[in-house]
Amino acid sequence: MILDCDLLIGRDITTGRRQNAADLRARLAAAGIDGGAVTGLRALSYDPETGNREADAAARDHGWTAVCGVDLRNPVDAESRMEAAAAGGARLVRFATTRQGIPGTAPRLRLLTRRASALGLTILVEGSTRSVGLAMMGLGATVIFLDQHFYDAGEFILAAREEPGFHASTRLLGNPDAWETIAEHVGAERLVFGARSGWSEEHSVLARLRSSGLDAAQRDLVAAGNLLRLSGGTR
Amino acid sequence: MTTRIIDVHAHLGPWFFGPDRGSAADNLRSMDAHGIDIQLVSGVEAVTYDALSGNPALAAAITGHERLRGMFVIDPRFLQEAEAQLEELLPSGLFLGAKIHTDYAATPAGSPRMADALRLCAARQLPVLVHSWGTQLLDLAETVARVDDVQVIAGHMGGPAWRLAPEAARRTDRLWLEPGYSQPEADRIRWVLDQVGPERLLFGSDSTLIDPALAVGAFRAAGLDAHERQLIMHRNAERLFGL
Repeated sequence: MILDCDLLIGRDITTGRRQNAADLRARLAAAGIDGGAVTGLRALSYDPETGNREADAAARDHGWTAVCGVDLRNPVDAESRMEAAAAGGARLVRFATTRQGIPGTAPRLRLLTRRASALGLTILVEGSTRSVGLAMMGLGATVIFLDQHFYDAGEFILAAREEPGFHASTRLLGNPDAWETIAEHVGAERLVFGARSGWSEEHSVLARLRSSGLDAAQRDLVAAGNLLRLSGGTR
Repeated sequence: MTTRIIDVHAHLGPWFFGPDRGSAADNLRSMDAHGIDIQLVSGVEAVTYDALSGNPALAAAITGHERLRGMFVIDPRFLQEAEAQLEELLPSGLFLGAKIHTDYAATPAGSPRMADALRLCAARQLPVLVHSWGTQLLDLAETVARVDDVQVIAGHMGGPAWRLAPEAARRTDRLWLEPGYSQPEADRIRWVLDQVGPERLLFGSDSTLIDPALAVGAFRAAGLDAHERQLIMHRNAERLFGL
């Protein structure tokens, strides 16, 4: 089983691209990806209320897990939405720091990370240890860094040693040994298959998965097991 | 049927991100894993530190390895040094082309120094792989158009500015596109290919910085037909480099 932790539906204002849930489902099927965790770009770019409803519907229709999208530009609202989502049984929240122009130095990022952690939410953050990691350390947070580039794989390892809840998406770990080095130093439990299918090139990440030096047990963790653990049983 | 693959954008030597791999054997192992027949490699040392020491080091490293062919790194700020070293190293037959990195060598693609470096390559009939990033892709195309006879590959195809690739290709017919990129957006190669045609694209991985899996996967996603696959994966490179 392969699950993508970084599914997005909606419209990306920067590139002008669109991908609705049916498009994404077809794309995943063509690539051999079984599902994953989905957020609505409408929630991250424009309106969390209606955007999250779109993601919820897509998740219901296609067997994915919905991710609560919040807008960090309205941190008070973001806090309320996280509380409501957690009360409703959600396990995942997405912080779109880069997309929403929120730097890693903004106090709201640390404050909302602390709040999400208290609520038992895993944070999917658009960023890396380099860009936002400092704000998320020392809080016992469970985080998946969605934009962790292999340039900074070593920093992830150092941070992950101190932060048992830190995980890295595979999407930008595209050099010859970042997956294997992370697995060696902090365990394959810290790597989560992420491709941002349909927006980023999922076939590149899949090719990297196929040629990885991970053993079968590690591969299963990365491909699906770790996301299932973090999301409470997503497909 | 297996298609021959020539990777026109590769490196040899350890990278500062993870210095464990730096030998020809590492390149060859990776090539075998991804079905790559020939890599055109520039020395990491020559690109990131010093062409004067890095070019001969690369020559020594690829000697005896027919599947690894050299790309001579030129720092446009020091063309006299480059000329002297070319005189020394080109007769070895190990180098098939040149490589210029705009950022490491602090030489913008539209600068007079870049044009001078390209003239040097044209005079020696060396195709040149030039790192192209952002809107410098268009500047590179303008420079190529001004330098008679030079043949240039735009490494990374502009990276995040890949949507400018068709415009760059229109400005001169002596510019080819190599789309290796560590952050590839979906459907990028097909979008460019449909506008520029398969004669203008080349397979490149940026190995050993980037795993060839990324380029292999991205080209697979493009759904190349047999004609496109032949041109992009090897024939265009064979023509350019006389392979």
